[in-house]
Amino acid sequence: MKTPREILLEQHRSAAPKLDAIRREVLAEKVTPARAGGSGALAAVWLNWPAMLWRELIWPCRRIWTGLAAVWILIFVFNFSQRDPSELLARKTPTPTPEMILAFRQQERLLAELIGPNETRSAEPTPKPFLPQPRSEGRFETLAA
Amino acid sequence: MLVVAEREQLPVLQAKAGEPEAWDILFRRYQLPLYVYVFELVHDEQTSLDLVQETFIAAVRYIGSLRDDAKFGSWLFGIAHQKCLQRWRKQNREEILLDEIPDAPNEFENRPDDLLIHREQEAEFMNLLNQLPPPQRSVLLLHFVEDFSLDEIAGITGAAVGTVKSRLHYAKKSLRKLLEEKK
Repeated sequence: MKTPREILLEQHRSAAPKLDAIRREVLAEKVTPARAGGSGALAAVWLNWPAMLWRELIWPCRRIWTGLAAVWILIFVFNFSQRDPSELLARKTPTPTPEMILAFRQQERLLAELIGPNETRSAEPTPKPFLPQPRSEGRFETLAA
Repeated sequence: MLVVAEREQLPVLQAKAGEPEAWDILFRRYQLPLYVYVFELVHDEQTSLDLVQETFIAAVRYIGSLRDDAKFGSWLFGIAHQKCLQRWRKQNREEILLDEIPDAPNEFENRPDDLLIHREQEAEFMNLLNQLPPPQRSVLLLHFVEDFSLDEIAGITGAAVGTVKSRLHYAKKSLRKLLEEKK
């Protein structure tokens, strides 16, 4: 008479050498004081974090990440295509420096001196404002005299 | 004789510190039971060996997340169970794990060694085990191979304790019925 456990283990006893090989392989490749648990583990984690991030976070869900990246690229492309070009031009125009402003003022002053104040007035006569005047009162007075 | 009845002292703390000798002891202790469990679920030698290897690697990598050192065994089987589920999902066989079975009666046979099997019944026992639906087979194997408690089996399989209890009850009932018939 045997227990189910004994039967089950006996049935698979032949796999023991292969399991021994697997155990040795894992021990040799994966178990180092730095990798498993202990105080050195933290340092190992910090050193290998890009690879770990890739292996644990990115690679298992690579399709989802690719999809998300594609969506973001589409959003950026759409955003750029919808942007007003004049806004871009305005942004590109550099703001005038104080020296440029000073030079501009000097040129303006020089131009004003060259043209002169009277000429400017005659060249550009200011329109007289329209003031309504009495039309008939003056005429009546001369007639009466 | 039930070997796993008493919980042995395992060098889990030393394994957490990265001592290769401690890992060697742990792997030696669990490699065959783990293989039996995985093989009886996936029924393929190479896949089972791969899954055991993946389980060992995951155990080394994530040992820091094990809070209760006394639960190393159920934690390790939990990893293996998840690996089996992942394999099933890849093969689109997830639905076979979701069968509904009625609630179990209150009585529960707590010992895996209360079922003794004659030498001539061994082949029938293995055949019947393979005929059970995977959820029942899974809890029965965990119960037989490592004598895990209902709570531990629930933790490993991710099922409710009541579900585990009913699965175990019906699996044992089927097994008993067959063994009675074959007498």
